[in-house]
Amino acid sequence: MIEVKNITKKYGSFTALDNVSFEIKEGEIMGLLGPNGAGKSTTMNIITGYIEPTSGEILINGINMLKKPKKAKREIGYMPEGVPLYYDLTPKEFVTYMAGIKKVDKKVLKEKVEKILSETGLADVKNKLIKNLSRGYKQRVSMAGALVGEPKILILDEPTVGLDPKQIAEIRSLIKKLGKDHTVILSSHILSEVSQICDKVIIINKGKLIAIDTPDNLEDKVANDNSVYVTVEDVDNKIEQMKEKIEDIKEIKLIKENDDGTKKYLISANGKTDLRKSIFAEFAKENITIFEMKKPDATLEDAFMQLIGEGGDK
Amino acid sequence: MWAVIKKEFRSYFCSPVGYVFIGLFLLMFSIFFYTDVVDYGVTNFEYIFYSGATVLTFIVPILTMRIFAEERKSGTEQLLLTSPLSLTSITLAKFIAATLVIVITELCTFMYFAILCHFGTPDIVKSFVTLGGFLLLAMSYISFGMLASSLTENQIIAGIITIGFFISSWFLPNFNEIFDNLSLINLFSKFVYGQIDIADTVTFVTFTVMCLLLTITILQRRKSVR
Repeated sequence: MIEVKNITKKYGSFTALDNVSFEIKEGEIMGLLGPNGAGKSTTMNIITGYIEPTSGEILINGINMLKKPKKAKREIGYMPEGVPLYYDLTPKEFVTYMAGIKKVDKKVLKEKVEKILSETGLADVKNKLIKNLSRGYKQRVSMAGALVGEPKILILDEPTVGLDPKQIAEIRSLIKKLGKDHTVILSSHILSEVSQICDKVIIINKGKLIAIDTPDNLEDKVANDNSVYVTVEDVDNKIEQMKEKIEDIKEIKLIKENDDGTKKYLISANGKTDLRKSIFAEFAKENITIFEMKKPDATLEDAFMQLIGEGGDK
Repeated sequence: MWAVIKKEFRSYFCSPVGYVFIGLFLLMFSIFFYTDVVDYGVTNFEYIFYSGATVLTFIVPILTMRIFAEERKSGTEQLLLTSPLSLTSITLAKFIAATLVIVITELCTFMYFAILCHFGTPDIVKSFVTLGGFLLLAMSYISFGMLASSLTENQIIAGIITIGFFISSWFLPNFNEIFDNLSLINLFSKFVYGQIDIADTVTFVTFTVMCLLLTITILQRRKSVR
C-alpha cells in the first residue's frame, strides 16, 4: 500500500510536481503515464526516497518515507530509468551486492540470489560480465536487483524501453506474474503496454495528476458509441441517398477509396443510436454490398491524448 | 555496509585503478629508496616515506575521484541511495575500502624493510610510527578526495580539485608562515622522526572526520536539490 499525499516538488521557480496525491492498494499494478517531462520519474524518485519532495508526505505500508527512510526503503524494490548497473560485475555478483545492501540475512543470501537469478532467466549468463550482456539481459539484471530482498512493492521506471518485441513480451509476462504477490508501479509511455498489464492508470501531465482510473474506464470515457466504419462495394453510387433512408444517420464521410473499388466510410448517428442493424438491413435492399463493418476502437491512446489536451488547455 | 566495502574494494582490483595506484606508488618509492637510502648508505626505512608523502598528492586522486562521481554519472547512485543503507554507512564503507588499498600498499613497502634488514638494523619504532603517520596522512587525503568527488559527476574535475588542494596545502607555507598549519605534509614530517605528536594526530583525525561529515552533508543536501 502506497499513499502519496499532496507532494509538490519545486526546482527554483519550476514546479515539477504540483500537489499530487494518490493511493495504490496492495496487489495492484499501477501504470504511470505521461508525456516526456511530465513528472513520472520525479514521482518515482520521490516514492523511493531518492529525492525529497518540497512538501507533502509518502507512506509506504504505513511507514513515513521522510521520517523513517531506512525502514520504508526495505519495503521497496526499485528499477531506475535507464537500468544503471555496475558493468564490471557479473549478474551473480551484482545481485549478491544488492542483497547485501538490502540487508538480506547472510544465511539464506546465496540461496535467495540463485533463486532470483533463475526466476529472471539469468541462470545461463550469471557469470558473464554485465557489460558484455545484451540490453534485454541488462534489463533483467536490473529487475533481479530490484526483486532481491523480497520487497512487497516494486517500482519499475520504463521497464521495457529499448527491448525487442520478444523481450518486451517476456518482461511484460514477468511483471504480470510478479503483480500477483507484489504491489507494482510502472511508468511507460507505451499506452498499449499499460492497458495490457495494469489494473489502474495514473495520467500525469506538466506535474499535475490528470486522471486515475482503470484502463477500461478511461477508454470508455472517450469512446464514440455512435459511429461505425463500413467498407462497401457501391456500384450504383447510392450511399449518399442512404442518409434519407435511415433517419438516424447524421453524416456519411468518405475515408478511403480502396484499389479493389470498395470504399470506406465513417457513418455517424444522431444521439447514441447503434446504426449497425439498420445499415445492414437497408444497405442490402439498395444493393450496396458490405465488406466490412466495425465500430471504432477507443484506445487508451485516445483517452491519453484527450486528457492531456484538456490538461494543457486548463 | 560490509557489502559496499567488499564491492568497492573489489572494483579497485577488477579495474586498472588499484594496480595503477600500487604500481605508481611502488615505482616512486623504489626511486626514493635508491636516492634517499641506498645512495647515502643508511638503513633508515622511514626516509623513503619522507619523500614518498609527496607522491600521495598525485596518486590519491586516482583512487578517490571516481568514488561518488562515477556512481552519479552512471546512475548507480540511485541503487545505493534507495537502499536501506544510511548515507553515513555508505560514505564510511567507501572510505574504508579506499583506506584498505593504502594499507595493502604499505604492506608492499615491507620489501624495502626486508632489504634493509639484510644490510643492517633499521629502527623498528621509527619505521612503524612513520607507517602509522603515513596512513593518517593518506586517510585525510582520501577523505578530501571523497569530498571533491561528491561535488561533481565529472571524475576529472573531482581529480583536479583534489590535486589542486593538495598542491596548495603543500606549497602555500613557502609564501607565508600563516599557512604552516594548513600543510598536511609538514604535519606528517614529525612522524618520520619517530615522534607521535598528539596535536598532529588530532589534526589529521579531525580533518578526516570533517571531510567525511561534509561529504555526508552534501549527499543529504542533494536529495532535496536534485
